[in-house]
Amino acid sequence: MTAAHSAEGGALDVTVFGEQLSLLSQRALLWRARKMLIVADIHFGKAAAFRAGGIPVPHGTTRANLDALDALVAAHEVAHIVFLGDFLHARTARAPATMLALQRWRERHPDLQLTLVRGNHDRHAGDPPPQLDVDVVDEPWRVGPLALCHHPQEAVDAYVLAGHIHPVVRLAVGRDSLRLPCFVFGAKQATLPAFGAFTGGYDVRGEQGEQLFVCTDDRVFAYPRSP
Amino acid sequence: MLRARPDDTGDEVPPVAARSRSTPVERWFAAQGWKIFAFQRDTWQAALRGESGLLHASTGSGKTYAVWFAALQHAVPALAKAGPLPLTDMPAAGARRTRAINQTGLRILWITPMRALASDTARALEAPLNALLPAWTIGSRTGDTSGSERARQLRSLPSALITTPESLSLLLSQDDAAARFGKLDAVIVDEWHELMGSKRGVQTQLALARLRRWRPQLMVWGLSATLGNLQQSKDALLGEGRGVLVQGKTRKKIVVDTLIPAHPSRFAWAGHLGLQMLPAVAAEIDGHASTLVFTNTRSQAELWYQNLLAARPDWAGLIALHHGSLDREVRDWVELAIKNGQLKAVVCTSSLDLGVDFAPVERVLQIGSARGVARLLQRAGRSGHSPGRVSRVTLVPTNTLELLEAAGARHAVAAGQVEQRPVPDTPLDVLVQHLVTIALGGGFRSQELFDEVRTAYSYRALRPDQWQWALDFVARGGQSLTAYPEYQRVAPDADGVYRVPDAAIARRHRMSIGTIVSDASMQVQYLRGARIGTIEEGFIARLRAGDRFLFGGRMLEFVRVHEMTAYVRRATSGSGAVPRWQGGRLPLSSTLAHAVLDCLEEAAHDAYRGPEMQAMQPLLALQQQWSALPTARKLVVEHLHSREGHHLFFYPFAGRLVHVGLAALISYRLAQRRAATFSIAVNDYGFELLSATPIDVTDLFPAADMDGALFSSAHLLEDVIASLNATELTQRRFREIARISGLVFQGFPGQPKSTRQLQASASLFFEVFRKHDAGNLLLTQAQTEVLEQELELQRLRETLEELRGRSLQVCNIARATPFGFPLMVERFREKLSTEKLSDRVARMLQELEKAAAR
Repeated sequence: MTAAHSAEGGALDVTVFGEQLSLLSQRALLWRARKMLIVADIHFGKAAAFRAGGIPVPHGTTRANLDALDALVAAHEVAHIVFLGDFLHARTARAPATMLALQRWRERHPDLQLTLVRGNHDRHAGDPPPQLDVDVVDEPWRVGPLALCHHPQEAVDAYVLAGHIHPVVRLAVGRDSLRLPCFVFGAKQATLPAFGAFTGGYDVRGEQGEQLFVCTDDRVFAYPRSP
Repeated sequence: MLRARPDDTGDEVPPVAARSRSTPVERWFAAQGWKIFAFQRDTWQAALRGESGLLHASTGSGKTYAVWFAALQHAVPALAKAGPLPLTDMPAAGARRTRAINQTGLRILWITPMRALASDTARALEAPLNALLPAWTIGSRTGDTSGSERARQLRSLPSALITTPESLSLLLSQDDAAARFGKLDAVIVDEWHELMGSKRGVQTQLALARLRRWRPQLMVWGLSATLGNLQQSKDALLGEGRGVLVQGKTRKKIVVDTLIPAHPSRFAWAGHLGLQMLPAVAAEIDGHASTLVFTNTRSQAELWYQNLLAARPDWAGLIALHHGSLDREVRDWVELAIKNGQLKAVVCTSSLDLGVDFAPVERVLQIGSARGVARLLQRAGRSGHSPGRVSRVTLVPTNTLELLEAAGARHAVAAGQVEQRPVPDTPLDVLVQHLVTIALGGGFRSQELFDEVRTAYSYRALRPDQWQWALDFVARGGQSLTAYPEYQRVAPDADGVYRVPDAAIARRHRMSIGTIVSDASMQVQYLRGARIGTIEEGFIARLRAGDRFLFGGRMLEFVRVHEMTAYVRRATSGSGAVPRWQGGRLPLSSTLAHAVLDCLEEAAHDAYRGPEMQAMQPLLALQQQWSALPTARKLVVEHLHSREGHHLFFYPFAGRLVHVGLAALISYRLAQRRAATFSIAVNDYGFELLSATPIDVTDLFPAADMDGALFSSAHLLEDVIASLNATELTQRRFREIARISGLVFQGFPGQPKSTRQLQASASLFFEVFRKHDAGNLLLTQAQTEVLEQELELQRLRETLEELRGRSLQVCNIARATPFGFPLMVERFREKLSTEKLSDRVARMLQELEKAAAR
């Protein structure tokens, strides 16, 4: 991986295996050469699944996810969105209102190619309904020198992009402390932050040889390397 | 505590010898060789009239039997009538032992805050039953009760049941609850002072409201230690203006003294004296059979235990460590060993404030300030249980300024000043949980339950719209205007009775009843398997394999984390980190702070009373020489220009929490007059504002008079919220609320996968609510709790008022004064700023880079 450098709109560009990838502060990754937007762990219908379980969650998280995708598609040249697993949260995530909102969104973007690399939640929740027109593949899904996956793993001759972990990093200086989603880039694989509006995070610290990139509202920062 | 003691002095009534004229209860007391105290008789007479009440007495004074016999005589009036018991109440001898199933139904409920107390309480309550009411059974039901015992209780509850607020709510969630409690005559709430200030107390209030609805004549008695607001304590338990207050026997003599350091320094910072006092502490332990050494934090307990052992290796096995994060089994062993007199000393935290009596304990030491008078009295009461002994607590200052607090504490104890304990006001999270509990326990109609809940003191001002919101939250998923077809937790049936239709939701609710929310913690376990206790996740997260840390009195080496357990092995040697646990740092209480100000007032007039003040004289004289002594009549503000910048020191003596709010408020108001950024440091005595830009003091305080605008109470709420990063504080507070209201479900071993898919963190809920349901009243509650409890807004308001009434003395100083120095070295510097998130992150990263480069 070559050193990251700032790009327009608060993004950071990194190069892995000769491919330039833009890390967006919106917790997504843009592969400009392929016009490909890559997001991990969107967990559609998670709020609905909670409600079905008797836990009150307000509505608006599906809307927030779709608005965020809209904004990214409008701001960048995107022909293809790849979901790195956990597209639907659970079997009970298929609430009528959620599915209708997804359907409407799809109708507004008929030309977008959508691909889902199946994750663990997808195995329980099932594939997206056919009318959403999502190509569904199993990991690892090879695209050029990259292998797109849900679970972090190593590939023999490809650089892996994965999700599943929902990495966040805790910044603490004195009494000031913050927990922010981050990208984790290692020598042979990277993990994306969770994109979903209703997803939690798992604290990571960055192991030897890993570089963390922290997302704030409008910028991506390189986190100091661990000594 | 559990026994009326013949050696107690006080008003006594001679034993009634004449058998025909005495009651069965009097005869039983006479048979034990005990006298009946006047307050016990008072309690019984009130109970015989059917009155409820609150008995306020110190431990070891016969209060347990005062209320126990009150309840018994109320339930079985024949016990209070002269002459023999009627035969119907006296079945053949030995019948009680063989009778497994109770015939009387549940008659008396005994609520205790600590399940560890249940078995000792059961033994004490059972003693008179053999002779007086052999047909009665007694049992306990707590989190520790075995499955088979629970199953037996499911068939039939004992005549008297000892339980905790949580287990009582669990009983109320059974669908035949009304029938089970249908014969209940009396409820006793033990250690009510421990419950009343917390949400567990609110849970108790709600349970009592339910029981009173089924049994309108229900008698309720509470037991309480000394408090500054006993009347309110009684009202919270019994309802406003109801019940009687009975004063128990006067407290036995309590002695408060101090280990005076040999060379008190004139420049003190938090903790610097701590281990300097180690030899003196060891000598005290040496000189007594059994000593409790109280510390204020678990980290401090670990350190003191370790250092005592290092100083006296021959004490290995004779001294022990006790704090709330140690495994239950370890704590039980230590408690038993104290009771049996096997231990020379135990280093402990508030984990030993409550609990069974430790008769062998001769000596109580308090490391650092106890922060409050009630707490000090409670701890003093842990010693001197043997006949003829006084209770004595000795303060061990960890810095010179704590000598002031020691002097103040002595004054307050002598003057009988004790803190008040506030009662929670309308906590909706507890109400939400209660609604589901009652929906399970037979169901409810909205209006009826609303009326019932309003009889609970904490909900006496509950508004219909708040009620409707809570009902909608459990019945419709929150927003009353939105219908979620997939949502159902509680739903009305055809008759308008709200019930829980889903078995999985019912199961999950019963598993999470209660209001005790533990920190996000991890089990700590040896690779071989023995559990040691729990540590906060955040601490474990910072460890790498091979790192050492001190825990449970041993040096451990971190190996790995697996499934929420941190595996460790014994470290052979070396030093390591001491885990820090969140919370626990109590502020100086208002009562104690005022006592300290009184001592300073005397010192300002050159009166140094008592050894503590005499030891402080050099420090206070220097303070007076360089600046001035702050007192209850004078606010001292110091202005210092140093290489760091421009410092302002204020000494209101109002406790750390109030100073956090006050410092933020003052700097916010100053910054509004003239743009400036302040770093803030606080302690219990005052606060420091540090600015890079010059401060014109004459401009700030034009007259030698109090600046009305700066210390004004107007717009207090808005200014406090604007001046502090209230969102982050609120988010932390929301964790407890999310857990109590059933948003966050604490997992349990072997839970099905489907449950795991329903887990999200409280902070995630907080974010989602804030973005998508900003009117959620649980968010409002979190903010209120932050303001009232973490920032003590009410006390802040009172402090501002007091400050406006004090004269102001502004001193320009050349160097930090004895009072200012500890503030300067107080480590944290909290930047008051409204930076944008990305700017804040950029700054933090820059500081991290700088630190890494060093």
